[in-house]
Amino acid sequence: MTSYRLSSGGLIDRTASLNFKFDGKSFTGHPGDTLASALIANGVHLMGRSFKYHRPRGVITAGAAEPNALVELREGGRKEANTRATMIELYEGLTAQSQNRWPSLDFDIGAINSLASSMFVAGFYYKTFMWPKSFWEKIYEPIIRKAAGLGTASKEADPDKYEKAYAHCDLLVIGSGPTGLMAALTAGRSGARVILADESARLGGSLLNEREEIDGDSGIAWADGVIAELGSMPNVTLMPRTTVFGWYDGNIFGAAERVNDHVIAPSPYEPRQRYWRIIAKKAVLAAGAEERPVAFGGNDIPGVMLASAMRTYANRYAAAAGKSVVVFTNNDSGYRTARDMKAHGVHVEAIVDSRSESKADAGGVPVLRGRRIADVGGKKLAAGIELDDHTHIGCDAVAMSGGWSPIVNLACHRGGRPAWNDQILGFVPPDTGKDFIVAGAAAGRMLLSECLADGARAGTLKGKAPATPKCRDEAFAIAPLWWVKESHGKAFIDYQNDSTAKDLPLAAREGYRDIELAKRYTTTGMATDQGKLGNVNAIAILAEATGKSMEQVGTTTFRPYYTPVSFGAFAGPFHGHHFQPVRKTPLHDWADELGAVFVETGLWMRSSWFPLEGEDWLAAASREVVATRERVGICDVSTLGKIDVQGKDAGAFLDKLYCNTFSTLAVGRARYGLMLREDGIVYDDGTTSRLADDHYVMTTTTANAAKVMAQMEFAHQALFPELDVTYVTVTEQWAQMAVAGPKARATLQKIVDGLEMNDQSVPYMAALEVTVLNGVPARLFRLSFSGEHAYELAVPADYGNMVARAVMQAGDEFGIVPYGVEALSIMRIEKGHVAGGELNGTTTAADLGLGKMMSSKKDYIGRMMAQRPGLTDPNRQCVVGIRPVDPQDRIRSGSHILKDGDRPSMAADQGYVCSVAWSPMLNMWIGLALIANGRARHGEVVQVWDGLRGHKVMGEICDPVHFDKENKRLHA
Amino acid sequence: MPKAPVRSKPVAVAEVILPRVSPLADVAVQGRFGADRGAPGVTFSVRHPLSIATVIARAGKGKATAQALAEYEPRWAGPDQYFVVAQGRGEGALYRELKSALDGIASVSDQSHGRVIIRIEGPKVRNVLAKGTPVDLHADEFPAGKSALTQMAHVGVHMTRVGEDAFELSVFRGFSESFWEWITEQAEEFGYQVR
Amino acid sequence: MLIPCPHCGTRPVEEFTFLGDASVKRPASNDPSSMEQWYDYVYLRNNPKGRFDEFVHHSGGCRAWLVISRDTETHEVFGCVTVRDYGKTKGGKA
Repeated sequence: MTSYRLSSGGLIDRTASLNFKFDGKSFTGHPGDTLASALIANGVHLMGRSFKYHRPRGVITAGAAEPNALVELREGGRKEANTRATMIELYEGLTAQSQNRWPSLDFDIGAINSLASSMFVAGFYYKTFMWPKSFWEKIYEPIIRKAAGLGTASKEADPDKYEKAYAHCDLLVIGSGPTGLMAALTAGRSGARVILADESARLGGSLLNEREEIDGDSGIAWADGVIAELGSMPNVTLMPRTTVFGWYDGNIFGAAERVNDHVIAPSPYEPRQRYWRIIAKKAVLAAGAEERPVAFGGNDIPGVMLASAMRTYANRYAAAAGKSVVVFTNNDSGYRTARDMKAHGVHVEAIVDSRSESKADAGGVPVLRGRRIADVGGKKLAAGIELDDHTHIGCDAVAMSGGWSPIVNLACHRGGRPAWNDQILGFVPPDTGKDFIVAGAAAGRMLLSECLADGARAGTLKGKAPATPKCRDEAFAIAPLWWVKESHGKAFIDYQNDSTAKDLPLAAREGYRDIELAKRYTTTGMATDQGKLGNVNAIAILAEATGKSMEQVGTTTFRPYYTPVSFGAFAGPFHGHHFQPVRKTPLHDWADELGAVFVETGLWMRSSWFPLEGEDWLAAASREVVATRERVGICDVSTLGKIDVQGKDAGAFLDKLYCNTFSTLAVGRARYGLMLREDGIVYDDGTTSRLADDHYVMTTTTANAAKVMAQMEFAHQALFPELDVTYVTVTEQWAQMAVAGPKARATLQKIVDGLEMNDQSVPYMAALEVTVLNGVPARLFRLSFSGEHAYELAVPADYGNMVARAVMQAGDEFGIVPYGVEALSIMRIEKGHVAGGELNGTTTAADLGLGKMMSSKKDYIGRMMAQRPGLTDPNRQCVVGIRPVDPQDRIRSGSHILKDGDRPSMAADQGYVCSVAWSPMLNMWIGLALIANGRARHGEVVQVWDGLRGHKVMGEICDPVHFDKENKRLHA
Repeated sequence: MPKAPVRSKPVAVAEVILPRVSPLADVAVQGRFGADRGAPGVTFSVRHPLSIATVIARAGKGKATAQALAEYEPRWAGPDQYFVVAQGRGEGALYRELKSALDGIASVSDQSHGRVIIRIEGPKVRNVLAKGTPVDLHADEFPAGKSALTQMAHVGVHMTRVGEDAFELSVFRGFSESFWEWITEQAEEFGYQVR
Repeated sequence: MLIPCPHCGTRPVEEFTFLGDASVKRPASNDPSSMEQWYDYVYLRNNPKGRFDEFVHHSGGCRAWLVISRDTETHEVFGCVTVRDYGKTKGGKA
């Protein structure tokens, strides 16, 4: 294979070689190469196949806008599809595969689409695959999906780490070309905190690609000097390999740093990529400008590329795009390519300038003025051109320049629309306010001296802008040329989507005259490059087809992300093990020792049941219930929210929060409370205890702890600021365990210090401060959720595991068991106590059978709205018990209740089953249900219909208290 | 039925027989971890056992509370709200002391067991913390002695700068293990020491 | 979006929870004749294009309830005060 590596020059390190593979073939390149430049240097011009027609494609650009040379980089779990070869730094051992071809890049069966291309016009899919309708999902879509699409994603897990981080600065400079460097230098010298970010591995931007002269030296030397100075400043952070992809409210910028994409595998301690949120007081967009292609026949054949790309490959990478070159341009910048290529010793056949006049320096290369390229010959490599006057010129590479588009993307991310500028023939940025300044070529400044001055101004945070170094300017002049209509071959507008110049007038003829509609109809401007190269040409052709101006057609909407960002970067470390934090109770180790199976409840891990060998969850939970009811059990209830409420108005505040009254609660006592929302629906419940006149501790359900706290904060700060009250969560301070069963008191008596426990010293609903185990401070509550004679004991969390073990030891002689939330739930259903299934955001206090708790003597949250007719209707669904008529039958949660004989329908629906359990005490399935006017229907036999599982049993409506109706056990 | 709270016989602090066990006792293993070239970028240590109390001023007593707390080096924890942190105190001693000192002007709640304080220090401390918090940690914006309430890795964190390159992070006890695993992983690239 | 919390300084919006229209006032009366006011208070919320005062909770920070004044179209933030201070200035100046 011929070498296309130039013998000298370039910013590559020729002393070192790097081995890499493309489509299984081995090649070598040098540090400083991209995958694209190394392939070009190796004479590989065919790098991919196009999306629709499977046409052979090579590189068009040398940068971020590359639409064609997309490859699958790396293998296995590290494989990344649709990666731009122009942006991949070459490294030792790199492997890449071309995409969108089968069986090989060289011979691709899909290219047959190209022969039938007259069919594949814009809207082809919409027009063709419309009917029969039933074919779409099963036949058309799978086939189209298989044939289309770009690279494929890996099915293996990505083994690498990703991170997220925040950064702050006085000035963020985006882009490190002449404008960006000047801005960063100016701000850095003033002492400001500066971040300079650039997508490239090497800072310098266009100065690395062009032969410029600044301050009497080469542009590269000047850039290196500035970068060295910036690097020495402690107030400046340089961020190479970092794409700033979005501008967001508050001058926050999103950026993706490719920390380790340039090595074969990152160190296990380092991330592959880092997702940054940069909070910038001010920012400068110095992203430069993107050169545009021209639409002419075969403008996609490998060897045809942007003029700036061709000279970048030669100047920066010492890679010649061809042996014999033609330049086609409508502006002065194309002449630079001719001069640069000639200087590198590459033969330049001619400059084809569509303008009849130009003052640009051709450097001795013949110029064909007023001429246009109509068609390019060749299939997998350019083989000569034909001009509009039918002249043939031999060549193997074509450099094209259709003008320059300022890279305004970020400036438009917050809704601004760019404006058309007739001088430079490009869209220039909208007003971005004083904190985000667009400077240099991104603002439409086409001269180097203007860029340097613009950068200095943008980097001046206060005072006067400094003088800028002297430089040599290239003049810039341009005349419009969008589409060479004499072309016979396909003239592509959007390479990535295979949309051609003819598609746009077609779209207009078919009524898609608005640019947003034409985009969707022709797919121009979609996919990974988002129309970076093609959109302006598309707008111009649509403008002509619809008789509008560029300004009138306007652009489509610019949205983040400027270039694709990997899912890994978005996820950061928050997947798998770190998807969400785990919250463990202070009794976790104790439960774990006893073989607990844990269940996630929100973020909490709660002990769910404690299986003995051979037991499933139901056997374990049933055994735990029986043992607790017959002897004694201990359960971790630490997850209940605990809030310390203090202050002179603490009682008054609780009276506002709860529908019942707490200001009258005696010190040393606890009371069950019910909290409503302002709309009258029940919000939460729990017991609150009074520890002192001005000190309560309230409990919330596990699920609502945080929400209740927020509600309290709102109630106090916004509604009742006059109350002198403070509240703070103390959930985590206490390990809390329920000890329940006939032997609960005897068990606890053995560890409580100096207190004879009896019904006088610790009456039902007592809340006492005691010590246990010789001085561990503790709170002892006589509360019961299980219906048994029961207590809750709270100790400071660091003692939790040890105290729980001590309780187990104390209860050993009585046969104590640990029980989990499953047993807890069974016991509460047996007792008809409401919980999450019933407190479900639709029920009122009355629905729950707790209507009497609602005070009529005070204002409280939800009082008024709870009285509306809709919430007091006697036919509302209210909580009842439900049990199968045949004790062998099983009732399932979620089943609907129907009257005997009714067919299932919305109209016939009587309610539904909210909670069910197998009751080991009653030896049957029991449940709680919400049934219309249910309390008046005890004894009625109904259908319990489970449409989801196709299951129906007969059930009987009953009192919600299934077990120990007289509550004898509570006081036993 | 007794009207006043029934209390067990008061037991002197010295009589407490149980030792406090940190939730990170088995998690925060001492040693050198992560990248192993050069000096560690940061050093972690768990401050345990500590006495921690929340102090919240009662209505109109913000100034009085701040004055009364001056000698305790209180850590700001919200409007008229502070954490007081002390070492080497007996069980509940700091809480009782503050409660009596602030009687009528502020509410005090013992949080000694409810929060875990992780100390992180070293030249890379800001780089590690920036992976979690949106707070600007530049010394001009966040000098030593300053505290902030923030979130890192979905966990609420009370953060205090205790030195030029030293911070203390206070999290709910239940999250401490998860948080420890996350934050030490963020320090791997710099290499870290656990003391 | 950044929100200037009067207690914590400027923080990103992710730390905050929005509750909407801050112009609502909880009726003082529990008299049945005030029911219409209660319906309005519980259910009616403004949602204008342009400048808007909203309740926000600094749930990921100091846990204070605040009122932020912002432009719902441009997201420009004009100010942010505690809900207490907002209440004091009646009609509000966030």
